[in-house]
Amino acid sequence: MTDDALREVSGFAIALDRAYAPATHMWVRPTGDLHVTIGMDPLGVETSGTLAQLSLPEPGQVLIAGQPFGQLEAVKFVGPLTSPVSGTVRAVNAAAAADPGLVEREPFTAGWLIKAILSDPADLGKLLTDPQAITDWYAARIADYRLSGAIAR
Amino acid sequence: MTALLPVLGSPAKISPDYVRISYASAVALAMKSGRFSREFDFGGINLLLNYDEGCLSDCGYCGLARTRQADYGDQFIRVEWPLVRTGELVDRMAEHEDKLTRLCISMVTHGHAYADTCDITKRIAARVKTPLSILVAPPTLNRHRLETFKAIGVDMIGIGLDAVTEQLFRSIRTDVPAGGLKWEKYWEVVTDSREIFGPWKVNVHTLVGLGETDQDLIEIFTRLRDQQIFSYLFCFNPEPDSRMASHPKSPLMRWRRIQLAKHLIETEGYQAGQFDFDADGSLVHLRASRSAVDAVVSQGVAFMTNGCPGEQGEPGCTRPYGSYRPSEPFRDYPFPPAATDLDQIKAQLRLDEVLG
Repeated sequence: MTDDALREVSGFAIALDRAYAPATHMWVRPTGDLHVTIGMDPLGVETSGTLAQLSLPEPGQVLIAGQPFGQLEAVKFVGPLTSPVSGTVRAVNAAAAADPGLVEREPFTAGWLIKAILSDPADLGKLLTDPQAITDWYAARIADYRLSGAIAR
Repeated sequence: MTALLPVLGSPAKISPDYVRISYASAVALAMKSGRFSREFDFGGINLLLNYDEGCLSDCGYCGLARTRQADYGDQFIRVEWPLVRTGELVDRMAEHEDKLTRLCISMVTHGHAYADTCDITKRIAARVKTPLSILVAPPTLNRHRLETFKAIGVDMIGIGLDAVTEQLFRSIRTDVPAGGLKWEKYWEVVTDSREIFGPWKVNVHTLVGLGETDQDLIEIFTRLRDQQIFSYLFCFNPEPDSRMASHPKSPLMRWRRIQLAKHLIETEGYQAGQFDFDADGSLVHLRASRSAVDAVVSQGVAFMTNGCPGEQGEPGCTRPYGSYRPSEPFRDYPFPPAATDLDQIKAQLRLDEVLG
């Protein structure tokens, strides 16, 4: 990721070189051919609370868009990691599984979750990719979370 | 020549100017980001005194035990307890007072604990009207000090007896490497508190899973109920690197049955004679009608967190995920169990085995 791709929206970083699934805070970064890297954006991580454990799939597991591929557990929260695309898991970030703090510290780089091969490239078209749409969505979600008290002041 | 001044270390972040608060409290006051897996109103704020020396007791199951190995930083009962400035905390309490239901200061065994608890209580009471409890450290108290708590605005007193028989208490809390807690002292504080604070204004914490029998628990529930003292159930959850780190947690079935028995005794007036035990003290039969017990189970209240109430009697201190991880089945519910929760509870209870 280049620095040019990184923006700050209401105090939270967002990378504009990738696609987002707004409902689940997952990002997808195409890396060539049908290959993608998948992770969670900083807002999704922050509002989960301090991470305690990540359960990630094994390479070879089939991904279905909209279905869980793993689980995130924080101090007072547990929830699914929902796949934004369909495909097959190619690699898993063992460092993040061993130290979930890596996802908190470097959500767009070293804190990626899985690498996959898409089964349907059209899945990417269903995600947010336009930079303005991404920043608008992000700003609105940050405002919602601030209102609900999920973000510390 | 320039004289060298002594280099001073940073001032210690200790009570009364600093306290720890539970992670759930920090989220409720927007001092930490986060949310709960299931949405519910949460307003029970828990404070814990903080000292460089920690707690001077040495209980076998406790994350604050004096001889527990390793440095856990901000961690206590497995999760982070953020350290905050007392002044900022009180400001936040005042700001969020409309959603607060109960405040509680947990003392630790330390020479400054009594004075610091008074100091913090006064700071809170001057700004916030939410009812305040103190979970006391009996070795630091006497009757006069309990009377002072009452005089400065404390509403309820909790005593963390935890081990419900004298033998168990001695083995886990008295005869330990740096222990010395006295069973008699704990009961002296229970009795004094009951006299000073009145009926249903005192609670005794009873920890399920330390090695006691069902019969031991039911005997103490009835003993306390007869004195108009609440029993608050806590589920033993092994603390890493404590002396009881490898001690197993109670099976869910036992925990559910104990929750039900405690509720039947405390709220429905059941007597100890209505519970039958085997030779090991395990509950084997409940002398009650199936329909009456089913009605109680279906209300769900028996399975909610035991804690001091809010001002109108609503659940006040609900400690979400206090003795289990979010990914584990609920032990106590910080909200009224939903229909799907009640289905699980009924399956866990296996009431057919103890009724009829």
